Amino acid sequence: MICFRCVECVNKSRHNSENFELFTLDDVDAAFDKIIQLKYNQSISLKGKGQGISVTPLAAGHMIGGTIWRIIKDGEEDIVYAVDFNHKKERHLNGCVLESVTRPSLLITDAYNAAYNQARRRQRDEQLMTNILQTLRNSGNVLIAVDTAGRVLELAHMLDQLWRNQDSGLMAYSLALLNNVSYNVVEFAKSQVEWMSDKIMRTFEGARNNPFQFKHLQLCHSLPELNRVPDPKVVLASSPDLECGFSRELFIQWCTNPRNSIILTNRTSPGTLGRQLIQNPNQCTVTILVKRRVRLEGAELEDYMRKEKEKELEAAKLKAEKGGDMEDSDSSEDSDIEMEVDIVGKAKHDLMMKTEGKSRGGGFFKQAKKSYPMFPVREEKIKWDDYGEIIRPEDFMILDINPTEDENKENREENDETLQDITEVPTKCVAVSQTLDINASVQFIDFEGRSDAESIKKIISMCKPRRLILVRGSPTAIDSLASYCQNSGLVQGKVFIPKLYEWVDATTESHIYQVKLKDSLVSSLNFARAKEAELAWVDGEIVMVEDEYLIDLEKEELKKEKEEVEEEETGSRELIPTLQPLPTSLVCGHPSMFINELKLSDFKQVLLRNGIQAEFSGGVLYCNSVVAIRKNEAGRINLEGCLCEDYYKVRDLLYEQYAII
Amino acid sequence: MATVSKRKADSQVPPEESDLLVIRPLGAGQEVGRSCVILEFKGKRIMMDCGIHPGLSGMDALPFVDLIEADEVDLLLVSHFHLDHCGALPWFLQKTTFKGRCFMTHATKAIYRWLLADYIKVSNIGTEQMLYSEADLEASMEKIETINFHEEKEVSGVRFWCYNAGHVLGAAMFMIEIAGVKVLYTGDFSRQEDRHLMAAEIPGVHPDVLIIESTYGTHIHEKREEREARFTGLVHDIPIYYASSLAKKCMAVYQTYVNAMNERIRRQIAISNPFVFKHISNLKSIDHFEDVGPCVVMASPGMMQSGLSRELFESWCTDPKNGVIIAGYCVEGTLAKHILSEPEEITTMTGQKLQLKMSVDYISFSAHTDYQQTSEFIRAMKPPHLILVHGEQNEMGRLKSAIIREYEDDVETNIEVHNPRNTQSVELYFRGEKTAKVMGSLAVDPPQQGHRLSGVLVKRNFSYHLLAPSDLSKYTDMVRSTVSQRLSLHYTGTLQLLHFFLNQLSGDVEAIDIQGKKALKVFRKILVIQGVDMVTLEWNASPVNDMYADAVVTVILKADSAGISTKVIPPIMKLDKMHFTECLMEMLADMFGDEAVSKIVKGDRLFVTVDGKSVSINLRNQEVKCEEDEVLQQMVTTAVTKLYNSLTPVKV
Repeated sequence: MICFRCVECVNKSRHNSENFELFTLDDVDAAFDKIIQLKYNQSISLKGKGQGISVTPLAAGHMIGGTIWRIIKDGEEDIVYAVDFNHKKERHLNGCVLESVTRPSLLITDAYNAAYNQARRRQRDEQLMTNILQTLRNSGNVLIAVDTAGRVLELAHMLDQLWRNQDSGLMAYSLALLNNVSYNVVEFAKSQVEWMSDKIMRTFEGARNNPFQFKHLQLCHSLPELNRVPDPKVVLASSPDLECGFSRELFIQWCTNPRNSIILTNRTSPGTLGRQLIQNPNQCTVTILVKRRVRLEGAELEDYMRKEKEKELEAAKLKAEKGGDMEDSDSSEDSDIEMEVDIVGKAKHDLMMKTEGKSRGGGFFKQAKKSYPMFPVREEKIKWDDYGEIIRPEDFMILDINPTEDENKENREENDETLQDITEVPTKCVAVSQTLDINASVQFIDFEGRSDAESIKKIISMCKPRRLILVRGSPTAIDSLASYCQNSGLVQGKVFIPKLYEWVDATTESHIYQVKLKDSLVSSLNFARAKEAELAWVDGEIVMVEDEYLIDLEKEELKKEKEEVEEEETGSRELIPTLQPLPTSLVCGHPSMFINELKLSDFKQVLLRNGIQAEFSGGVLYCNSVVAIRKNEAGRINLEGCLCEDYYKVRDLLYEQYAII
Repeated sequence: MATVSKRKADSQVPPEESDLLVIRPLGAGQEVGRSCVILEFKGKRIMMDCGIHPGLSGMDALPFVDLIEADEVDLLLVSHFHLDHCGALPWFLQKTTFKGRCFMTHATKAIYRWLLADYIKVSNIGTEQMLYSEADLEASMEKIETINFHEEKEVSGVRFWCYNAGHVLGAAMFMIEIAGVKVLYTGDFSRQEDRHLMAAEIPGVHPDVLIIESTYGTHIHEKREEREARFTGLVHDIPIYYASSLAKKCMAVYQTYVNAMNERIRRQIAISNPFVFKHISNLKSIDHFEDVGPCVVMASPGMMQSGLSRELFESWCTDPKNGVIIAGYCVEGTLAKHILSEPEEITTMTGQKLQLKMSVDYISFSAHTDYQQTSEFIRAMKPPHLILVHGEQNEMGRLKSAIIREYEDDVETNIEVHNPRNTQSVELYFRGEKTAKVMGSLAVDPPQQGHRLSGVLVKRNFSYHLLAPSDLSKYTDMVRSTVSQRLSLHYTGTLQLLHFFLNQLSGDVEAIDIQGKKALKVFRKILVIQGVDMVTLEWNASPVNDMYADAVVTVILKADSAGISTKVIPPIMKLDKMHFTECLMEMLADMFGDEAVSKIVKGDRLFVTVDGKSVSINLRNQEVKCEEDEVLQQMVTTAVTKLYNSLTPVKV
């Protein structure tokens, strides 16, 4: 839903300044009907061509509804698509859960932030707060450029909370949210509480206070509306790149005044005004193209009218040919028709026609064209008095050049939300190049809500993907992340860096088949616990058996299993490979394994709990001053000591930390 | 787990391997109210709902939870916020030893908080022995986790997710999967879309066991349109109040969780919030109510046990112009149920008798499934086992026979219907099929008859993977590590002496130099390095090596204390072949008789003749050959090997 609003807003704000024809709002609506909504952790299995593949969205942080996609084939091969995630908990969102995904066979992520380290959140918050306070106390306005529906929630929530705080001293100033759909965005945010952070949810459950029921934030949809908000004020306006929308308009208005402050919250794509300002913080002037949608006037208007009329006639003709009912002519055309009628004047016909009085749309014209035998004539008696002919003053009034004005006003009153909607007025787009002095302070404070370089590396090291594809990001950032991942041994397989339009062959040979485990086998196993799993060494032999149970009772199950099995061995039908234990005489033993990775600091706690003194000195853990444990670079643990009881005690405890099979 | 296994000591199988699935209603078994169903399978214990009986009070209202150990419950799932489904939850979470996890949907949790707070207030007047206080309720909020519809969660191997149940806002049907066996618990549900909620969803997967409510048994509801018409026919054009502070509190929840409602509401929210009412106003309390002129008051509780609805009823019931509409299901023992039988008079809360003259109508707005919907739902699910709960005994019985009748001619489907009483358990058997996925280098060769597999079996929450040891870190987050040991001990003797002693233990002792220090390698695994007045043992830890090391340590200690003068070190003992031959001949003579063993050794060969069959024994490599009799050969081989092993030091 949020996405919907976002697209809608971008579309609208674009429309306000230029012609945008890639798609229309109707296309947006139509596309929405095709989208299936999923909840986090809801797996959906694909059908048909995608049989065997299931898709699960995981929370990604960054934005409300932000998703990391996990695509799993046959329950084993998992591909994780994670871009723009944020592992940090924010005010309105929980952090991402990427670190809980372990050992995916392929991770696709971005290197957008791979060469970028951000300041601590607290520091950034303080920066914002100081900037706002200083500007406002100096009676200047603050423009915060944000997106329409994603990150704006974080900022809006944060600022509203700040304003609520009595000590902040901000109560005296105004706070506004300005974009085309601000009302809707906030309404939606209110009904999406279950997608937000635990803290927000708790406040809602505990106090029934919807955190997006703003106390101080005023919602504005147009510049006139914003002008009613008293200065000095803080305005959250979209879009973040200052390329279109209200933020650009406000920037043009405010940047010349040294008292004002402009805060950019997002490093937008290169080439945009926002990025330009971030990269050149000391820039004094900026030349920008001021695009505006203006009403048609004079000759252009007449030309437009004529064309519209022709179109109208054409449409009417078409309709008449179809013989369809005339009632439902396009309502957007209504205004033009009625206007036309107004100009011609209200002539009454002396012949009764069926459609008399119907002034709607094409019908009027069609009828007029086809069935009137003659022009309607109305004879007016000229009256005279002592001063001469009695005139009607209206006849001598100058006709309003733009008769649609009135209608448009009506329109506005009816539809307060779409104040900017000037589609029904004939308009055109103009662009004027303008050079502006930037006197206002321009500051970039990162509120993008993405993990930075250090965290990305840490997260990758936690989920240890087998292979990695890096997308998006400057070549240097991608290279540095790629080499980091390869050199540190985080990614054992390949790291791909595809260019645009380049195919990457990331297929792996994965061998997999299913065997049934005989009960006698399972009961003979000695399981050792390691983390959440249990491990055991198995020596077994495969026998191909026809399983009667499966055939009789679970035909469906069997089919499924068969499909999986038959990938490996076509031809054999009801044969299920079954693993049975090897007779003990044939078991040839195996090298024992220690499974687990020991952290010395954890082990120290274990020792202390068992009444053994343990202390670190130069990376070596000394136990009761007689036994030393050290860990070398390769992760090998070395236990050293002289023959004593403590040595064996420590060794037993050490062994307990491992699953030994 | 320890207590579980103790109790089931008689059955040999540990609980997590058992095929027995037990479902036991502790409440709502052949009754309505205090829903609480326990599911046990594979050592996991799940409680579904924890309600109280609206017709009873204090401890009597609780489900029979004393029959289970609260600390053995791993998971507690709450279907919706009605008192008979979550009323005992604060008590169970705060006053018992329960330490599992508890889940409900967001909307349920938000309303639960206010509904129970209201319940505490209302019942404070009536009963002394409260189960829990407002503070307990507040504290219980911390322990409740939330789950989204369709979101899959896993708690200690139990996978579960929920579907919309269409009963009230946030009502959920839980699908629980343990080791491949699926159980669906419907809670209260309705398959009829109403003004704000969607109809209960039909899950895409078929459960093996369906636990279904049977409140309305075989009844068929009147259509929504008719019902609504009947309601609006009784009331119209007069002010409408909702007289409950609770409703007011919960309205914010309704205004927020529109995503849990139906399509219509979700569409409407884009324009304006449908839960901001135009014609319905809130009545703060009875003190704010001016009883002049006609009006409609929606008051709670619905069964008029106490509270505002009861007060209003008592003040209005004597006037025939007034009317009461019971809008939901009524439990036995409540006033609402009582007046439906149209008694002449009723007893007020103060014990006074009042004449009942007002009209009494029953228009059900409670979104429970009726027979039509239930039957359709069961047909879609086709569960092999059906368990009826949450229904009055007779209704349940009727529903059971109706369902059995429906499927009696159907050969294809076989549905077993159970309607257990409270505390009576239903025992079902699900043969667990254990399949393992063979992955990685182990699976390079397709499975064939007789193919041997050796590797690590990783068991994680009922799923098994078989891997080669080298693939372990590739497919799991587990790492193999090595532990090496260095053990120093006091030893003053020479290395030669030690060599002599160790040689008696092990067949292969190697003298080597390590960084200028003299050392011995024993069993090819253990290094004995000489230092000043001590020796240091070095080896990689493993059960076998540790054992070798222990043996070496014993030898060293013995050597140290033996105090043999360093000058007379006996030569390192070689295996005495003659001794071995002598012993062998003696043994064979014992086995087969003196005459069977030839007294002459030809080269390295010794011959034995048994029953005319000749056996040749190679004394150098202990090879035994007998062309004529394999059994004999085997017998002699065993004897020779055993003898050899007992005479020679251990070799690795």
